[in-house]
Amino acid sequence: MKLTPKVTLLAAGVLTATSLTACAGGSASGGSAAGAQPKLTFIQGVAGDEFYVSMQCGIDAAAKASGATVNTQGPAKFDPTLQKPIVDSVVASQPDAILIAPTDVAAMQAPLKAAAAAGIKVVLVDTTVQDPSFAASAIASDNKGGGLEAFKAIKNLSPSGGKVLVISTDPGVSTADARVAGFEEGAKADPSFEYLGVQYSHNDPAEAAKLVSAALAKDPDIVGVFAANTFAAEGTATGIRQAGKQNQVKIVGFDAGPAQVKQLKDGVVQALIAQEPASIGTQGVDQALKAIKGESTQKEIQTGFKQITADNISGDGAKYVYKSSC
Amino acid sequence: MTTTEAVPRTAGTATEISRVHSLRQVLQVQSFQILLVLLVIFLVFSALAPEVFPTWGNVRQIIQNVSILGVLGIGMTFVIVTSGIDLSIGSNLVFSGVVAAKVMQAVGGSGWGTAIVGILVAVGCGLGWGLLNGVLIAKAKVPPLIVTLGTLGGALGLAQVITGGVDIREVPAILQDTIGYGNVPGTTLPTISLIAMVLILIFGTVLHRTRFGLYTFAVGSNEESARRVGVKVDRQLISIYALSGGLAGVAGILSLSQYGTTAIAGQSATNLNVIAAVVIGGTSLFGGVGTIFGTVVGLFIPAVLQNGFVIVGIQPFWQQVAVGAVLVVAVYVDQRRRAAAARGHSAKSDGKKKLFGRRSS
Amino acid sequence: MTTIPVLEARGLTRSFGNVRALDGVDFDVHAGEVVALIGDNGAGKSTLVKALSGNLALDSGKILFAGGEVELGSPSQASSLGIETVYQDLALAPHLNAAQNMFLGREIPKPGFQGRLGFMDNKAMRAKSREAFDELGATVRSLSDPVGSMSGGQKQAIAIARAVAWAKGVIFLDEPTAALGVVQTRNVLETIRRVRDKGVGVVFISHSMPHVIDVADRVQVLRLGRRVATYEAKKTSVEELVGAMTGALDGAHS
Repeated sequence: MKLTPKVTLLAAGVLTATSLTACAGGSASGGSAAGAQPKLTFIQGVAGDEFYVSMQCGIDAAAKASGATVNTQGPAKFDPTLQKPIVDSVVASQPDAILIAPTDVAAMQAPLKAAAAAGIKVVLVDTTVQDPSFAASAIASDNKGGGLEAFKAIKNLSPSGGKVLVISTDPGVSTADARVAGFEEGAKADPSFEYLGVQYSHNDPAEAAKLVSAALAKDPDIVGVFAANTFAAEGTATGIRQAGKQNQVKIVGFDAGPAQVKQLKDGVVQALIAQEPASIGTQGVDQALKAIKGESTQKEIQTGFKQITADNISGDGAKYVYKSSC
Repeated sequence: MTTTEAVPRTAGTATEISRVHSLRQVLQVQSFQILLVLLVIFLVFSALAPEVFPTWGNVRQIIQNVSILGVLGIGMTFVIVTSGIDLSIGSNLVFSGVVAAKVMQAVGGSGWGTAIVGILVAVGCGLGWGLLNGVLIAKAKVPPLIVTLGTLGGALGLAQVITGGVDIREVPAILQDTIGYGNVPGTTLPTISLIAMVLILIFGTVLHRTRFGLYTFAVGSNEESARRVGVKVDRQLISIYALSGGLAGVAGILSLSQYGTTAIAGQSATNLNVIAAVVIGGTSLFGGVGTIFGTVVGLFIPAVLQNGFVIVGIQPFWQQVAVGAVLVVAVYVDQRRRAAAARGHSAKSDGKKKLFGRRSS
Repeated sequence: MTTIPVLEARGLTRSFGNVRALDGVDFDVHAGEVVALIGDNGAGKSTLVKALSGNLALDSGKILFAGGEVELGSPSQASSLGIETVYQDLALAPHLNAAQNMFLGREIPKPGFQGRLGFMDNKAMRAKSREAFDELGATVRSLSDPVGSMSGGQKQAIAIARAVAWAKGVIFLDEPTAALGVVQTRNVLETIRRVRDKGVGVVFISHSMPHVIDVADRVQVLRLGRRVATYEAKKTSVEELVGAMTGALDGAHS
């Protein structure tokens, strides 16, 4: 038979369909049998972010210790339209449990609920979704407390009070919103400080720098800025340095990535509120394995935070710095 | 007078002669080459993860996630065939979704009545931005790259102004349940994919079989010639950019349905991903050549690569490297084909025409 | 000539900035006649052709088609009168095939509702294209190959065939043999004769005096934007033509 285009296409199609159905019959029915190595998949909020890398290190170590395997994936940006296809692919690969930092409270609700319905145990780490009842556990830092702690740090650095500003990432990200809320509560309760509000840098350091420059142009006597995450802190420091106000404006950053630690050591940033991402990761693996075995899990776990300053960076504070590789 | 060759010259014979194709000719058609690439990728991953990858459950979700990009790809194919570009589709999508969500919120309710209002508003917004693009490009003669770069910023900025940067998460349940996650009744085919397929079929027919499509190719091939023979080039360009915008509006309501939120911070790389898909599929950035079928294949390649890498457990960064490599190879192949065509290799282009290009039959 | 010219220009003027491209130029061509339009570079030949094919606005002057005054505001207006032009760059769409190029802008719709949706009758268009090419003796081997992959001669043949198929009145050919070899040139000149024999007026610009004398009936010479001489081709010589072009023999009439 002559290989006309139609015939070739038909043959290719048949080949694909056969390979499709041949394996459909024997497709994995849920996770592995009890006793086999548990399969975990960790879906980061964004790949390459030191916070999530530290979390991955904690997860990898905990999994290794318990004999589980881990596959780590993450979107290139903190973007639900990029994360959803990854979640769907992961669900299709039928792991025993998923540890995930959802990038949107609404967009990731349905895919994760579907994963749970398919028998995969879901543990939410760092961020959460609108209705986390399907999840085996939700582990996050006490972000509100962390925000309050950040305000206390600013107060330590500028005891006489003054104007303070917050640079956050995106509205609607549960973790960032909680930090902002904690800081706002502390600032509003203290009469010597004037709270200028919160601006959103969309997880883009360049954007944060622009916002800070503009804010300084409007209020040249700002005494303190709270940057609610890694990228925000990077950009805030840049913006303040561009305005030449390093000595006047105190910055407290949230998260302790290597770049921010360098800024701390250089004196550009005065304090960092570090979460414990490795601990979140470790607890996440713990809860996931419990869920796989059918044991009861803790629905909500809050982890703490540590203040890192120039004083303790070389000593106690060093172990709370986020890693850029494990 | 010059004598002609021995082949009898009756109407249509010229096409009958070359009806029987050798496999070699077939293989030279770029759309087919790219389909082979997709099949090879599929088979490789099937071999690497036989129990997970080639299952309908997995393939189904790939198709579902590619659907919105498919809708955008239709418009982008038309635009790139005219040797233009539309960078604004992602922002247009977000804006249309935002306005539709706001209107549906105001109208209230969560049934089909509200949903239809939302759909119409989204498409209307999309058309609006598309028309703006088209008029600036055709009448004001501003280069498409610049115009759509401007509307990219404008649409996204306005979306952020309207919402204050806060996503609207109130979407009528009927949209989410039927279009977002629902299947076509009686099947396991996602509704959103059916919608995309129908649109692809309709506009594929328009591009490859109607006068509108022919004029699209003519404008991309030689705009000046088209103008000289009386083709209304300005009107054609405006229509094409309006189409791209309108489809971005459709994508906006589809995205709302699927994500249940306006996702304002999202879609940041969508425009480049769609352009890459169109180019991988064989549409030339220089205009005059392209197929909707190629675009569809081009969309599946990055999606299947990512899906495969996630399942097999490869680091996410390699996925982007792989897609980038495929894109460069695709453009290189296109360049070689154009050079060969200029030298007069009609066998290649003959095969191309017959298979997936403009059919003369 | 006592018959009314099918196309006549009287005193056309057009300036581009300080340059007077057309300085009160006259021109005329009759049905069934081949007129060669010659002149040195910058004499205004291409400008005149543009004006007479609806591609250029004029500052002043009259254009008459079959004796009646007309305004050629656009190429489609000229086309509707039956004036077609083959440009030096051929104005073909390289990715489209010969039949599509032939009918570009004038496609045959499928009958009925399908036609209104935009579907075209490709079979009919291919048949008619084949007829047109055969009539001119043009060798177009495949109607479905993109014209961009064809030789210069074939492209020329397609462009001329397109103009001839649609022309009822006048055809303008701008340097039709400039890029062609000997055999192809002979074919083009033969085509010009055939077109003339159909009763269409042919105007062609050329720099090749031998070709001009070979195929033209009359020769009109432009210099500095005006017509300076008209000759009957068979009664003139290359020296005379060159002289008129360069101004050595000003005012000569035949």
